[in-house]
Amino acid sequence: MSAMLLNKEKWSEFIGKLSGKNLWAPAVQGEVKKYAPVAEGETVELDEGNTTVPPKALLFPQTETLYRFSTGKEELEFPGLDEEMVLLGVRPCDARAMALVENLFRWDFDDPYYLKRRELTTLIGLACNEPELNCFCPSVGGSPDSTEGLDILMTDLGESYLLETVTEKGKAIVEEMKDLLEEAPADALEQKEQLAKGAREKIRRGIDPEGIPEALPQLWEDPLWQRISAPCLGCGICTYLCPTCYCFDIQDEIEGSAGRRCRMWDSCMFAEYTKHTSGHNPRPTRRERTRNRINHKYSYFVDKFGVIACVGCGRCSTLCPVNIDLIDILRQVKAAQ
Amino acid sequence: MSEQFKPNIVAFLCNWCTYAGADLAGTSRIQYPANVKIIRVMCSGRVNPLYVVNALQQGADGVLISGCHPGDCHYMEGNYYARRRLKLLKELLEFTGVDPRRFNMSWVSASEGHKWKEVVEKAVEDAIAAGPFDQFRRRQIGW
Amino acid sequence: MDLDKLRKTAAEVVSRDDVKYLIGWRRGTFGYRVAPHFIEDAAGVDELIFSPLCIANLANYLTLTEKLPVPRGQEADTRKVALLVKGCDSRAVAQLIVEKGIKREDVVVIGMPCPGMIDWKLLAERYPETDVAAEIGWKGEDFLLIRGEEEITIPRAEVLAEKCRLCRHPNPVLSDITIGEAVEPWAVAEDSGVAEIEAKEAAERWDYWEEQFSKCIRCYSCRNACPLCYCEDCILDRLDPIWVNRAVNFSENTAFHLARAFHLAGRCVECGECERVCPVGIPLGKLNRKLARTVREEYGFEPGLDPEAEPFQASFKPDDPEEFIL
Ligand code: SF4
Ligand code: SF4
Ligand code: SF4
Ligand code: SF4
Ligand code: SF4
Repeated sequence: MSAMLLNKEKWSEFIGKLSGKNLWAPAVQGEVKKYAPVAEGETVELDEGNTTVPPKALLFPQTETLYRFSTGKEELEFPGLDEEMVLLGVRPCDARAMALVENLFRWDFDDPYYLKRRELTTLIGLACNEPELNCFCPSVGGSPDSTEGLDILMTDLGESYLLETVTEKGKAIVEEMKDLLEEAPADALEQKEQLAKGAREKIRRGIDPEGIPEALPQLWEDPLWQRISAPCLGCGICTYLCPTCYCFDIQDEIEGSAGRRCRMWDSCMFAEYTKHTSGHNPRPTRRERTRNRINHKYSYFVDKFGVIACVGCGRCSTLCPVNIDLIDILRQVKAAQ
Repeated sequence: MSEQFKPNIVAFLCNWCTYAGADLAGTSRIQYPANVKIIRVMCSGRVNPLYVVNALQQGADGVLISGCHPGDCHYMEGNYYARRRLKLLKELLEFTGVDPRRFNMSWVSASEGHKWKEVVEKAVEDAIAAGPFDQFRRRQIGW
Repeated sequence: MDLDKLRKTAAEVVSRDDVKYLIGWRRGTFGYRVAPHFIEDAAGVDELIFSPLCIANLANYLTLTEKLPVPRGQEADTRKVALLVKGCDSRAVAQLIVEKGIKREDVVVIGMPCPGMIDWKLLAERYPETDVAAEIGWKGEDFLLIRGEEEITIPRAEVLAEKCRLCRHPNPVLSDITIGEAVEPWAVAEDSGVAEIEAKEAAERWDYWEEQFSKCIRCYSCRNACPLCYCEDCILDRLDPIWVNRAVNFSENTAFHLARAFHLAGRCVECGECERVCPVGIPLGKLNRKLARTVREEYGFEPGLDPEAEPFQASFKPDDPEEFIL
């Protein structure tokens, strides 16, 4: 892992060079922060805090055309998927989420769309110096300076950014930017360690997940699910905006004699998610749906892939309109054990 | 541009009055612009406001809804409900920035072939003035 | 606010044989959050609160809570649901009765005259949330934030929720039990949010809403949080016919928003839940309030004031406005 220093005076030049590569970075749009394309000549200001919409939306778009078709034409038309993309300012939790989600998209079937996009994407991360209120990445195996899933990790040192290369893809970018960078001195690395340590100490919430994956199946019929889910609205917030949620539905859209097959985000918190054609719903209430969401992340995924499918970004806790708070749920699960 | 622009107008006409009125205009050889695509419904009260939204999404530059005069509804009161609902829809469309000239509503009875011609002329004129409505088109965008 | 009286009353109500549970609010798990609180026995009332953060409209749960088929051989549970309502929430209850969404005798309504609620996002801009649930109360006209030893007075105008600024009915319009004295309704200024949009040119209005609707992720939290969006078979979920494509793009999002706003015209009680829950900050309230104003000013009708009223869109007057009709 090589470490380079980018003086902030060279920042706009750095962005200028990247913006030719289909660059996306967090941008504030009214009340939300989300990834937006950076046009050539534009600059980027990275601040603290994460985006409302996670960057998963770029690799796994909310609506994605799988192919187009039309009557009288035997061939299907497939998307090109050949454009490279650079995501800048990705938080370590969100990058870890991409690494976790890959497990699913490589599992029994290699998903060509996701994997191709992943391959074409370079992730330049930004370590969190100021974790937010509900950040709890260290509880679930991450950290505010985790490099998992990233190609490069940047740390804001004040006057400059420290760039640590993680992968070959990252190396290629650093190589291209050589003229703007300098070898990082030892005290820069020291400073980074201090910042990372400080960030970990600033994390206010958390839970030790030890025992939760084993406890969940035992608590299948526990009254706690009724209690937790009673206020739930059954909306898509906690799943659509979760960086590790990957459920989708496939639908055809037809207009005249042509159409497309597309996949779109779906959520296990919706009633239709499990509704059968007959009208029967094996998860008839929000109790079963809430139980599924937690079980999927903290039990099923662990069984299948050996890791918790939550990276502790805190979005679900922060954004739930009725204060259904994951950290609190996990505490209740531990208490009920 | 307005010279070449031929607006697409979707008209929802009630079976009992305006549809018959339009028919009368035809049999009386009254000439009126050919831009309206008529969809017959049983009553103006049957026009779900989403028909209007969907028409605009699918390429209409203007929408026209027409039924019996108040008091003449075949179902006694369907057009009264239509009047309330479509007024709200009209306000909503205007508030979201749809040019009000894209939405017209009229009462045309079975005997008013001439009024039908005037209504269509007005709707077409309005839609031409408002111009093509592309912004709201349903598109199968993006891969 | 007399919290003891509230808790005592609540304990009495949940202890009644004909009451299934009581819905109120409790302190949240962090920051300025408050959670809906379902109380099944008198012990649960200890957590019950009523504070300027109790903004969520609990009437939503009257229709949101699933009614599962009763297994053969079992009797249906016909006990009442008790709930706490502010002025706006009580209007939702009244409107549900009008629409036959619920029956009056199925609910026990505990009315809370409402001095106005805080928009916690405005508060958080001044005093960031912490990991401890904050304690907040009213202090005369203003609000009082208590943080440990520290007591901070927050001027009403700085953090009052927009819907409360515009509220004309802070006292419950219907209740079985009322806690506390009625409040004096306050002067309501013109709805500047709506007026600002009306003042724009059509093209600018379109651009404004295009930017807003493009943000929508179609999580349908606005629909689900709305006490009056309770269709069992919502057009948004239907597959045959498909009214609005599931695809998330500007055209479909706009169709969705037009449909949602229209379906609430003459029904919306302006409790502001849709806008409050939206994770991406789309000002849905402006759409609702625009139509509510039309209904009020041009038809002289306000939904949710009279449980005996006729539903607005399912009624008419022979002399309804028709100047727009050719
Ligand atoms: S837990 Fe919260 S965010 Fe998730 S579905 Fe329920 S109400 Fe929506
Ligand atoms: S099942 Fe639910 S929790 Fe799991 S990925 Fe799907 S939406 Fe997310
Ligand atoms: S479950 Fe919640 S905290 Fe965990 S990754 Fe998803 S949104 Fe973040
Ligand atoms: S709208 Fe009125 S009744 Fe509702 S919370 Fe605000 S002040 Fe209270
Ligand atoms: S809550 Fe907001 S983002 Fe979600 S569907 Fe409604 S408007 Fe769209």
